[in-house]
Amino acid sequence: MLFKRKKPEHFFITIMLAPMMVVLISFYLYPTFYNLYNSFTDLSLLGLKQGGEYIGFDNYLRLFHDEGFGHLIWNTFFWLTFVSVSLRIVLGVLLALLLNSETLKKFKLTGITRLSLLVPWATPAIVAVIAWRFMLDPREGIVNQILLSIGMVDKPIAFLAKLHTVWPVVIIIIIWNSLPLVIMSYLAALQSISKTLYEAAEIDGANEIQKFFHITLPQLMPTTIVLSLMLVVWTFNNFVYVWLTTAAGPGNYTNVLATEVFIRGFVDFELGYSSAIGMLMAVLMALFGMFYYRYLAKKEFSEIM
Amino acid sequence: MKSKALILLSGFMLALLAGWGSLLFAADIKLVFRFNDPEAKEMRAALDIFEKENLGIKVELQTIAWGNSRDQFLRETAVGEGPDVVHIAFVWPKDMGNAGGLRPLNDFIKNQNIHGGFDTFVATELTTNDKGDIFGIPWTTDTWALVYNQELMAQAGISNYPTSWPELKNASKMIHEKTGKTGFGFPMGSASGNTIWFLANYYWWSHGKALVVNNASGGYKVGITAQDIAESIDYFHSYVKEGHSPEAMISVSEASNPAIIEALLSGEQGIAMMPPNMLRQLVEDFKTRNPGKALPFVTKIFPGGSAGSKTHLGGRTLGINAHSENPEASWKLVKFLTSEIIFEKFYTKQFPAQKVLLKNITFGPSLKGYAEQLALARSWGAYADSPAQIGSMWNKVGRIFGDAFIGTISNQEAGMRVVKMVEKELK
Repeated sequence: MLFKRKKPEHFFITIMLAPMMVVLISFYLYPTFYNLYNSFTDLSLLGLKQGGEYIGFDNYLRLFHDEGFGHLIWNTFFWLTFVSVSLRIVLGVLLALLLNSETLKKFKLTGITRLSLLVPWATPAIVAVIAWRFMLDPREGIVNQILLSIGMVDKPIAFLAKLHTVWPVVIIIIIWNSLPLVIMSYLAALQSISKTLYEAAEIDGANEIQKFFHITLPQLMPTTIVLSLMLVVWTFNNFVYVWLTTAAGPGNYTNVLATEVFIRGFVDFELGYSSAIGMLMAVLMALFGMFYYRYLAKKEFSEIM
Repeated sequence: MKSKALILLSGFMLALLAGWGSLLFAADIKLVFRFNDPEAKEMRAALDIFEKENLGIKVELQTIAWGNSRDQFLRETAVGEGPDVVHIAFVWPKDMGNAGGLRPLNDFIKNQNIHGGFDTFVATELTTNDKGDIFGIPWTTDTWALVYNQELMAQAGISNYPTSWPELKNASKMIHEKTGKTGFGFPMGSASGNTIWFLANYYWWSHGKALVVNNASGGYKVGITAQDIAESIDYFHSYVKEGHSPEAMISVSEASNPAIIEALLSGEQGIAMMPPNMLRQLVEDFKTRNPGKALPFVTKIFPGGSAGSKTHLGGRTLGINAHSENPEASWKLVKFLTSEIIFEKFYTKQFPAQKVLLKNITFGPSLKGYAEQLALARSWGAYADSPAQIGSMWNKVGRIFGDAFIGTISNQEAGMRVVKMVEKELK
């Protein structure tokens, strides 16, 4: 009886989900499997019409044996993802606290600071990168002019040509352009923390640092969990910032998996090999997602979803 | 009642006229021409003339950056799409044609010969495959030359312009020492369309070496040693190490980079390298910025080694998409675009690739170096004929040089990597 009653509901749910399933199969599953198939072929951009020949795991073996593979993994995981995401999370919390502070409210600066915060976010990545490249130019750039005028350096710094400055510059650009999203998310979370928690803590004699570590930070944890996951996935797969800032150079110094996919596929024309790198990226992110959910986010996700 | 009938009749007639008009419009042939140079406005004006001369043919002008044009066209043509007429580099037609993207033009050339004849164009061998299929008509040609600021050269006490590579370095050094300005500022960056590829090849060719050469059995082999490559890296890197070229050049890949152009315009840089269209733009910008002031720029040929001065014979080709539904109209457009009027009135920063038209060009003093250099330019020859992809070698050479410039590998290691890479490409 119960089963019979549920049947029309199942039918209704299936019908309602069908369009989304069609979209998912057409635009996600099909390209994924097509890419997986290509990764087992020697497909070239010049041979798209004819298609590639099946070569088994050759592309994957070649990738793992490539002398630059370790460097690619290091750049992608450490510099591009770990450093930039960590910094955005830390700076995001700090700046959100600042924006939420009573001091800004007292001087009536809340509105203008929140509005100005949106400017970098609203700036397209390509515009942001070009503007930063101009600002960092050793001969004409304002950054070098300021550094020279205040005596911090005695000659201009070629930021994008030096090993110890090129990655920090890429990360600064990423942070500048995408930090507002993090700040706004934390700001919303901060505003939803109940004031009674702080009042109770004050009655118990807690100082500001204790209140931050025992109330604010734990209350921000669900936001941190979701934001971190989103930022890691976006950044790990991001091609734009590195490509526009350094074109993966100087040499191969800032090359990451996403730029390697482009170089191999559309400069060297090795679409099969490029697909193998793309599949590796998908697998790595899937593994990360599983690990993240299993060990870090299960509790928070079960509360949210 | 009568007036209502009249209104109805008028409406009916109008609808008929509109329908007839739309039918007429639908009968128009619509071509898409994809053009990659900055002169889009001038090209549009030229296409307007073409449309007037060829009623019934409308041309949509599409523009795309050179860096994306090749792979974009290959992606489109693989699924039967893409522009009807496409603007491509000299060394692309054979690959694109063999991949089925470009239509062979032999029948058009045979039956409706292009003005002056196909043989009157330069570098036709680059558009023709082993079977004799012709996949493009060379459109423009050029090579690169050195641009000197003669005022800075005079201040540095140099009256004889460099004719050898050591002399060029010495001139760069002298400019920096005597004026405090940059000597020879050239792009050393590693992006896929890097400029160091050209400079390195000029250096090797002038010493009688090349990355790819023909072997005795009709195949191809590497025509340079790792030591030769290491020496060339050392030579170019010495400009930065000695301080007369800015270190920032390691992150600059294009000759048109604002850092270089601005330095030339403001008199902060003594020597640069560029193609002629860029020089023409530089001259225009200088005149706008400094009205009445004498032009400080002169162009000279690149230095020579044991084999003399050598640069590449570059240029652009026009091809017709193999999937074009209007090949006849596309051919008409190709013929129009390669005609004299285009270079006289619209595409004036470029040199025509037809020998007769090229002869008519008045180079003038600022472009004199290009005229001399064109006579010394060589085709990519074995590079383009071999199984190696020029684009891939170009990217990899730039990256390996970049790795050596920043010191993550030694010059010797870089030399070995280049040789190994070319050997692999030739397999």
